[in-house]
Amino acid sequence: MTTATLEKAAAAEAQRKQKVILAEGNEAAALGVALARPDMVSVYPITPQSSLVEHLAKLIADGRMDADIVDAEGEHSVLSVLQGGALAGARTYTATCGPGLAFMFEPYFRTPGMRLPIVLTIVTRDGITPQSVWGGHQDAMTVREAGWIQVYCESVQEVLDTTVMAFKIAEHHDVMLPVNVCLDGNYLSYGASRVEMPDQADVDEFMGEKDVNWHVALDPLRPMAVDPLTGGTTGKGPQTFVRYRKGQCAGMQNALRVIEEVHADWAKRIGRSFAPLVEEYRLDDAEFAIMTLGSMSGAAKDAVDEARDAGRKVGLIKIKTFSPFPVEALMKALGKVKALGVIDRSVGFRWNCGPMYQETLGVLYRLGRFIPSMSFIGGLAGADITIPHVHRVIAETEALLNGTAAPTEPVWLNEKD
Amino acid sequence: MGRAYSTIAFDPAKCDGCGDCMTACAQAKTGTDDIARSRIQIYGRDGAADKTFELALCRQCADPKCVTVCPAGALDKDGTSGVIGWDASKCVDCLLCTVGCAYAGIALDEGTGHVAKCDTCDGNPACVPACPKGALKHITTANIYNEVGDWEDLFAPGLAGCQGCNTELLMRHTLRRVGPDTVLATPPGCVPGMGSVGFNGTTGTKVPVFHPLLTNTAAMLAGIKRQYKRVGRDVQALAIAGDGGASDVGFQSLSGAAERGEQMLFMVVDNEGYMNTGMQRSSCTPYGAWTSTTPVGEATRGKTQDAKNLPLIMVNHRCAYVATASTAYMEDLYDKLDKAIAASKTGFAYLHVYSPCTTGWRFPSNLNMEVARKAVETNFVMLWEYTPQAGLHFTKPVDDPLPVTDYLKAMGRFRHLSPEQVEHIQKKVVENQKFVERMTEHAHVG
Repeated sequence: MTTATLEKAAAAEAQRKQKVILAEGNEAAALGVALARPDMVSVYPITPQSSLVEHLAKLIADGRMDADIVDAEGEHSVLSVLQGGALAGARTYTATCGPGLAFMFEPYFRTPGMRLPIVLTIVTRDGITPQSVWGGHQDAMTVREAGWIQVYCESVQEVLDTTVMAFKIAEHHDVMLPVNVCLDGNYLSYGASRVEMPDQADVDEFMGEKDVNWHVALDPLRPMAVDPLTGGTTGKGPQTFVRYRKGQCAGMQNALRVIEEVHADWAKRIGRSFAPLVEEYRLDDAEFAIMTLGSMSGAAKDAVDEARDAGRKVGLIKIKTFSPFPVEALMKALGKVKALGVIDRSVGFRWNCGPMYQETLGVLYRLGRFIPSMSFIGGLAGADITIPHVHRVIAETEALLNGTAAPTEPVWLNEKD
Repeated sequence: MGRAYSTIAFDPAKCDGCGDCMTACAQAKTGTDDIARSRIQIYGRDGAADKTFELALCRQCADPKCVTVCPAGALDKDGTSGVIGWDASKCVDCLLCTVGCAYAGIALDEGTGHVAKCDTCDGNPACVPACPKGALKHITTANIYNEVGDWEDLFAPGLAGCQGCNTELLMRHTLRRVGPDTVLATPPGCVPGMGSVGFNGTTGTKVPVFHPLLTNTAAMLAGIKRQYKRVGRDVQALAIAGDGGASDVGFQSLSGAAERGEQMLFMVVDNEGYMNTGMQRSSCTPYGAWTSTTPVGEATRGKTQDAKNLPLIMVNHRCAYVATASTAYMEDLYDKLDKAIAASKTGFAYLHVYSPCTTGWRFPSNLNMEVARKAVETNFVMLWEYTPQAGLHFTKPVDDPLPVTDYLKAMGRFRHLSPEQVEHIQKKVVENQKFVERMTEHAHVG
């Protein structure tokens, strides 16, 4: 047998061992966390994340997960406790969203600079105000420039698998950055689905040895000052600061490679594959494409299938890794089409379009040829993005092919819902 | 290191010339009530408008002239106790020593025909407890120096604090006592501001040290301590934080960690404002005080609200240990440090140290201890400790406090106060004292 055949057989065997359960996205995330065996989780409840931390608390109370759980008095302390834990060598985890993420922001935007491989699930929620407790990507998008790796999941199974992989990505020595696993509030958090549970022994082998604070530690056996004042105009201040910042950027770029490697390793060992950076769906012979993020991709793929059946040459590009932005992978995908419609589940206030659309404009520029494109905004504050909504996106994007000038205003998909 | 010695201190402001100390000494040393034979002598100052008193007593000098001038070698300084002893078998009664001493510390005892001097009653001087006014104190702080003076100072020399910084004194003592198996958190403020965490690759501390955010000191320390506990290592978690970070923006994480009983020693250095950033007001700034954000103008004169009493708030968290302390009372401080360290092994220990700021409070740095002491002697601040088992009690009760003006006039930040403002402060001092006293009365009830 060839090596490839052997690997295929091993993956099939790994998959055969997996127990099939019914789980909501929040429960799947908690189960993924348990599989990764963190030392410490710190939690504070917030809709629609609450059931996730309840599941974690129950797993620990039942002795199914050996972690120290810190019920902190707010999200700010939640992440601060984990920073301390990580500096002492702990594998750490938490989850939050929306206002909780906003309250957490001070330690949040410090975490990547300290290169702490903390995993934080954002059960995405729209921003307030207007007051809203429902799903949307506004929270995660608002913090996209803080230096965290951000990956978005399409399905409950992908939530579970990606949660485990997130620890491996974060702790990779070429990366050492915190990771947000973004799972759509309401749609994935409460959406029950068939899930296959990887075998713990297989996951243990996948994870390997924990090595969290080799680079920065608060440990009397390795005394060091953590985060002294750095920068300014004197001495080696400027070059020292640049060295840290450049290193952080390098870690972010390294993450693109590491995310692919970790997904490949997961597929080999556990038997399930997900596009690590950018998924191309029916794109190779497409004339135009729509672009999606997160759970909306399911409905969008159905709509693309129907449009294909009707003879329209549409494909789909799904982003999984939003930060670092997968420029190369996206250029490859965009190179195949002549028009593009981008669906965002949040708003970019500065450009009056979706944030993913705005990021994509930069990639289109690098492509060096004009591709008409437009921004669609839908699914805010828990609103649906249904197959008919996506058909509208397909129709309006197709119209761009015929030379109609691309609109500068976004299309609000739920404006009349 | 050399040795330091205990000494008897005299406060002429408290002495009313009653002579009880002399009687006690005469009884202890001669078995008589003849105060002329006492080793301690109190003299009324002639011609003073208000009758004041001076002390004649052996200072147990480091470079004793009595010993130098003695031709017979009858006087000698004991290396262990520091007491200058007199040997009757060698004395030739020449009385040269009485001439050599500038303090009248050694004199002829008419009852014996020989000189006599204070021997501190073997470290337990009879005169001190005999004084009804508290004008005499036996200062034994030297024991601290003798005990920990050789321990390593775990901060580097040359920290960039203001000249005469009281906080620097406090943190050096604290870390020396807490020891090297420590992770130290110093949130933004004077402590890291003077370079304890460091600058562009250098550090001022010899134990693991970090800048938490101003807001999350207790939470970060909790995470560190928990992980070491999880892996079975005994590492001390220590915070040295300013009052602003603790009482204002960092209060939530402090309160949360205290409520959860996180195992750490959280020390607040209370210099009553944001001194590192330029002396702005904090919730610990007292009423009437000038700060750069409570300036003195036509409409308002200094802070218009009273200070938040953070240590009392911590008592209401039922922490394993809560205490207030002052660098003017080092033995008390060390005693509380020991208790706080012990308590932090099982729960949250909170130590609130009043730390005068020479720069921000506007007084000369040589008056640091004087200002710190006056704060206690006027009851402007009170020194007490609390445990859930024993409740709250004063460790340095001041039953006969000096008027608060004795404290206020010592520094520039109160210079502008109107009589009404002074009255307000004095009223609050009395009110606060009664408030804490009521807590001591009900110590065992709650």
